[in-house]
Amino acid sequence: MIARKIMLLGEIGVGKSSIAKRLVLDHFEFDYKPTIGVDVYQYDVPDDAGRPGMRLIVWDTDGNFGDAIFRHVYMRQASAAMIVGDVTRRGTLEAMAKLGEGFLDAFPGRHFTYLVNKFDLLAEGQLPDLPEPLTRKGISLVRTSALTGDNVREAFRAAADIIHRRAL
Amino acid sequence: MPQPTSSIAAPSDGTAVDAATILATGQHAAELGLFGLVWLDTELLARSRFGTLVDFVETGRPVTDSLPPLIGLEDDIQALKETPHRVLELPAVALVTSAGPAPRLNFTVFWISTAERFLLLVYRASSRSDIEVELTRQVRGRLIAEAEVQAKSRELTRANAELEQFASIISHDLKAPLRALRYLTDEAVEAVVNGASDDAGRLLGEMRHQAWRMSRMMSSLLEYASTGRKSDMLTMVDTHALIQAVVTSLPKPPGMSIEIAGSWPKIETLEAPLDLVLRNLIDNAIKHQDRLDGTIRIEAVDTVTQLAVSISDDGPGIPPAAHESIFLPFRTLGGPTGGTGMGLALVRRTLETLGGRIQVVSGRDGSRGTTFLLTWPRTISQS
Ligand SMILES: Nc1nc2c(ncn2[C@@H]2O[C@H](COP(=O)(O)OP(=O)(O)OP(=O)(O)O)[C@@H](O)[C@H]2O)c(=O)[nH]1
Ligand SMILES: [Mg+2]
Repeated sequence: MIARKIMLLGEIGVGKSSIAKRLVLDHFEFDYKPTIGVDVYQYDVPDDAGRPGMRLIVWDTDGNFGDAIFRHVYMRQASAAMIVGDVTRRGTLEAMAKLGEGFLDAFPGRHFTYLVNKFDLLAEGQLPDLPEPLTRKGISLVRTSALTGDNVREAFRAAADIIHRRAL
Repeated sequence: MPQPTSSIAAPSDGTAVDAATILATGQHAAELGLFGLVWLDTELLARSRFGTLVDFVETGRPVTDSLPPLIGLEDDIQALKETPHRVLELPAVALVTSAGPAPRLNFTVFWISTAERFLLLVYRASSRSDIEVELTRQVRGRLIAEAEVQAKSRELTRANAELEQFASIISHDLKAPLRALRYLTDEAVEAVVNGASDDAGRLLGEMRHQAWRMSRMMSSLLEYASTGRKSDMLTMVDTHALIQAVVTSLPKPPGMSIEIAGSWPKIETLEAPLDLVLRNLIDNAIKHQDRLDGTIRIEAVDTVTQLAVSISDDGPGIPPAAHESIFLPFRTLGGPTGGTGMGLALVRRTLETLGGRIQVVSGRDGSRGTTFLLTWPRTISQS
């Protein structure tokens, strides 16, 4: 099985570790345990419609890195990034847009997906207030909840499809 | 730390240490998990390993198979051959698996040209002190919490609206009985002064009634206000026994019949609020019945996610225009019900707090009868 490296980026407390744990271990904790440094997970995306199975090496980074992450050895040869924000915190959504730009600069041609997380906290029918760069045409944006698990696996599967198709 | 089995203590007399001692010391430290070494060939296959920290590295296979954090660093490792004095460092990485987090490790790769091999040195990253972790958690936690406060603003707005509603209830609904009480007092005083003791007795009786009514309204208002904050305990509840107990405890006219039907499961839930909801709805159905031989039918349908209960009566019915307002505090449809008007408000508030729902079906085309449909979640999500 081929292995590809995928980064989880985003402000502190947006749920990067929670998404990684939901994806790999299928569990969720309300308790906040900050990531100090980096945690590495493995997740095997099963083969699907012409795409062979793919092992994703998921790098769950510390939200405190900010832009500095792009110059860090941790980012070497990453095929893609999941840029996470917290739908209830506008500031983290703006930070997502900045990280998206930074990623494109540092890793031209590589893929990234915006994950707008904690969707479960929105009231039914309430629409998220997304900064303009996140609403542009052609970008990948997925609404997730690490708590309920909504769209978490789907987002990583879609990323695997793109990594395969574009041979990243 | 356990005493080493072989004698490898550092010499204190300044004598030179022989190579065998150095080797033995290194071996011992590696066995204690202080570091681990892996020799990699030019193809980055693990050739040999040394030390408990790298026990899981499979020899004869690409090192990235056992150490996925090195995936993507292959070219950087190969480049070390060209710049002999450089090393590649990958600090503070923890590998998380279903077995739990592994220790946080530093990886350093060297090119040893004399051996034509790479040497991978693995050692523990300085572990964060508990205090440091806790401080980080608190600082970051506060940042996150502050922002979540904003997210809660919707809830707050709603709570504020409710408070305003309370204020208006106090000023209007409680004002009326108070005013009545004042007039009654004036009249009673007058009656006493005039020596009309029969009138005085009647007026005092009415005053007592009004005072009671107000005190009941106050208690139910308080009860209503505190629902949603009550942190009850989950217990195993036999819902069939519960509904029977509720029905038995409520006074009803002799000609009225109450049927209990459907499937009533045993569930782990909050008993007091469930009792409150059922009691109020049945009490409501009894009180609004305008015939002596009325029937009330209570039926439960049990599903994986919720318990659905319908409570139907063949009373006068509720006009559709009133379907929303009956759930507001202190609203009754009038008539001699003796209620405080808090029952349905309490029911709805309790259900909403716990993730349930209530709906009323009644009064279509002016027909008789009312059905309250409620859903009670089988898993209580209230924190
Ligand atoms: N309601 C809800 N809470 C979430 C969700 N995802 C994460 N959380 C909570 O948000 C807090 C922070 O989650 P983490 O996963 O630790 O955040 P992080 O992005 O890894 O944070 P750092 O490691 O500090 O960068 C925790 O208390 C989680 O329980 C979600 O989808 N819904
Ligand atoms: Mg984290």
